[in-house]
Formats: sequence, structure tokens, C-alpha cells
Amino acid sequence: MRKRGYLQISFAWLFAIIVGAVILFFAIFLSTKLINTEQTTLDAKTGKQIGILLNPLETSFESVKTTSFTVPAETRIYNKCKTEGNFGSQIIQISQKSFNKWTETDIDVSFYNKYIFSEEYVEGKKFYVFSKPFKFPFKVADLIYITSSLKDYCFIKPPEEIEEEILNLNQKNLLVDNCSEGSVKVCFGFGDCEINVYSDYIKKNEETISFEGDALMYAAIFSDKEVYECQLKRLLKRTEHLALLYRNKAKFISPRGCYSDLNSDLLGLNNAAKSLSESDEDISGSGDLNYVGSLVELIKDKNEANKGCKLW
Amino acid sequence: MKTKRQKSGILTRLSLKSQTKAQLKIQQMAFMLMAITLFFVLAGMFVLVIKFAGLKESATLLEEENAMLLVTKLANSPEFSCGEAFGSNRINCVDFDKVMMLKENIDKYSKFWGVASIEIRKVFPKSQEICTAINYKDCGVIEVFSKDVNSLPPSSNFVSLCRKESEDGKIYDKCELAKLIVGSEDKR
Repeated sequence: MRKRGYLQISFAWLFAIIVGAVILFFAIFLSTKLINTEQTTLDAKTGKQIGILLNPLETSFESVKTTSFTVPAETRIYNKCKTEGNFGSQIIQISQKSFNKWTETDIDVSFYNKYIFSEEYVEGKKFYVFSKPFKFPFKVADLIYITSSLKDYCFIKPPEEIEEEILNLNQKNLLVDNCSEGSVKVCFGFGDCEINVYSDYIKKNEETISFEGDALMYAAIFSDKEVYECQLKRLLKRTEHLALLYRNKAKFISPRGCYSDLNSDLLGLNNAAKSLSESDEDISGSGDLNYVGSLVELIKDKNEANKGCKLW
Repeated sequence: MKTKRQKSGILTRLSLKSQTKAQLKIQQMAFMLMAITLFFVLAGMFVLVIKFAGLKESATLLEEENAMLLVTKLANSPEFSCGEAFGSNRINCVDFDKVMMLKENIDKYSKFWGVASIEIRKVFPKSQEICTAINYKDCGVIEVFSKDVNSLPPSSNFVSLCRKESEDGKIYDKCELAKLIVGSEDKR
């Protein structure tokens, strides 16, 4: 009798324990999943918010615009880029530190009208951002440079206009000549620095990156070669479409007596930009960009000379 | 005195009674556990529905914020801006001739600005006529593009809309007051 009673209670308890354990397991499992989903949502939201906050950086007649933003938790902003499609895309991924661990992120927040130049990822709580228009020869886009407050860049003996521009930015992590310990040194010309800037190319990690104009020079300094190469191809895609737009505009206004002899040059620029942007080769390492640069100079001069009927 | 057989009969009945009681208890417990599980599942689903509704709300708010910030700066983007085509560099100036040409190749730009619609309306002289390459002098509305989606109330900004004109062989710049209107998608 006693044994049977013992068995009866034990079965009821066993049943309750098993079912209880199953319920608890599912509750814990679902809570963990929910926390992960929340974290991913937060990462995606932060990414989108950062992208949207970059909208006011569109310049009009200013040569440079600056801002900064702070995030509540230690954050990594991953800068990715794709060249597929009409204009390629800028992808931002966010990873934040939670319980001393970086959250895993695979949510891509895409923008088509933004060109961010930075290292593969920038890390910190405070980020400095400045933008500068890229003209080739017309304004193509505003290039956005993101750096972390944890990393200083020191420009050694820069040309006067670069020095003035950097000092006017008043960005705490961009120094001129008075280098702090651990800062990335940028030499203009030869010198014992991490980055050496020459007339139309820079040397960084034993790699050559060519540029045209100051906007691309900063881009080459602040970004990884892969990011630079991809964004450059995206910029050339936009150049290709804008060259066509200005060519159509020239045709549209010519019946009103506004003539320009840029038709064939703009077509040439359109073709050159197209072939470079579609090239599988490394365009930032070759001199092809500088070759297109000479055509750009010619178009710029012709447009400047056409005083009453400038196209841009 | 009860016989042995009677005794064992009573014992069997007693054991059957206790077994039925135990089965009833297990059934009660099982029902209770099922009810608890069902309660938690329903509560979880309720939480999820609220969470996802909040997510859609945030997505819509972000779209709206994007449109609001974009409209203040869109006139300065290369596809719209006057640049130095009308004298010195102007702020918030839209090149009418360029936009008309942009409109012809707008398919490429449909996703470019990440908004649902872009439109330019002349404030004065007011006209509801949609602009084409033929009537561009007297029209009032340039529909740059419009996606077939649910839209939120649009954001707008005043701009000057400039174009090249000619009279008696003389070329001059004609600028009119217009509103640049940007609509965002309602994701709810």
C-alpha cells in the first residue's frame, strides 16, 4: 500500500516537473530570442538614424560642413558598399556592446545617395563627421568622412589651404603639426608617416591610392582601400548619369539661343566614367582616374568660358 | 465475520476508487498545465503583436524624418541645384531645365532618394497644369516622380525655380517662387 501511494505521488510530481521544465525551457528560449530581436532592431534603427542624420551635410556653396554625434553605448559602425545597380549602394551596419560583447549584426541599412568614407569600421561613442563636395567637373556628390573620437589624425606640414580648412573644421581629432601620441601621422610629401600624400596619389600600408581633387584626397586618407575603390566606382556611376543629364539640358536650352560646345565632351566623360565604374580592375591603383581628370579639366574650362549659358 | 473473498473484493473496490481519484488528479493537472501554457502562448503573441506594431510605427517615423530632413537639402543636390548656371552660387535654387530632363530619365532614380514622391509646385503664378517639354513656360506642377504606395502628409520647402529664357535674341534668367514637396511612405 505504502509503495503504491509513493508511486502515485511520484508520477504526479514527475508529470508536473517534465511539463514545467518544458514550459520553462520555451519561456527562456523565447525570451532570449526576443532580446536578440530587440538588439537587432535597435542596431537597424541606429543605422537608419545615422544615415538620416547625414542628410543635413549636403553642401550648397560651402566648401566643407562638419558635425558630430554621440551614441549611448559603445558602437561599431561598419561601412560597406555595393556597386550593383544604377548608383550602387551605401550600407551601414551597427554593432553595439551589450554585456561586454559586440552584438552580431547582419542587418544592412542601405542608402543610394550617400558616400561614406571611413575604415572598414569605426568604433567609439563619439563620432566626428564632415562633408566636402566632389566636383568632377560639376558637383557629383557630397563625400562624408566619419572618424572616431578615439583616433587622432595628425597632418604634418600640409599646404596652406588644407591647413586652413582643417583648422576651420575645429574637429578635435584632426591635428596640424602638434601630433599627439598614438595619432595617425599624415605627411605631405616624403617623411616617416603612416600616410604620405603626393600630388595625385597617397601611399598607405605600402599601397598606392590615386585621387583627383581635395575631396578624394581626404577620402583616400580616411578610408580603407576597398571602401575607397567601391565608393569611387559609385561616384563614377553618378558622374556618368549627370554627364548625360547635362548633355540633355544643353540640347533642351539650345533652341532658346543658349549654345554650348560641350556635347561631345560630355559624351566622352559619360563613356569614360562608365568604363571605369564597370571595370573589374583596381582603378584607384592605376592612373586611369588621373587620365579622366584631364578631360574633366577641359570640360570645366569650356563651361567657365560660356559665361551667359553655363550648364552648371 | 467477513470471508477472505469478501475481504479481497472490498480491497479491489478500494484500490479502483483510489486509481480513479489519481487519474482525476492527473487530468486536473494536465488541464491546468495546458491552460497555463495556452495563457503564456497568448500573452507572448500579444506582446509580439505590440512589438511589431511598434516596429512599423518606428519605420514610418524614420521615413518621415528622412523626408523632412531631405526636403531642406534636396534643392542643393546635383540633380536639382542651379550651381553657377544662373550667376553666382544660389542656395535653395532648383534648375527648371535640368529637372525637366531629369524627369525624362527618372526610372533610374526611383529608389535613389529613398522617398515616395518628389514634386515641385509653382507658388506664383499658380497653375495646376502638369509640366511637359512643350508647355514648360506656362505650367505649374513638375511631378518628378511618384511611387504607388501609401503616403504620409508631405514635407515642403520654398525654393526658387530658375530657367533660361530668351526675348528678342537676348538670353536672361527667369526665376519663380516654388515649393519643393517630398512625400514619404506610410509603412503601417
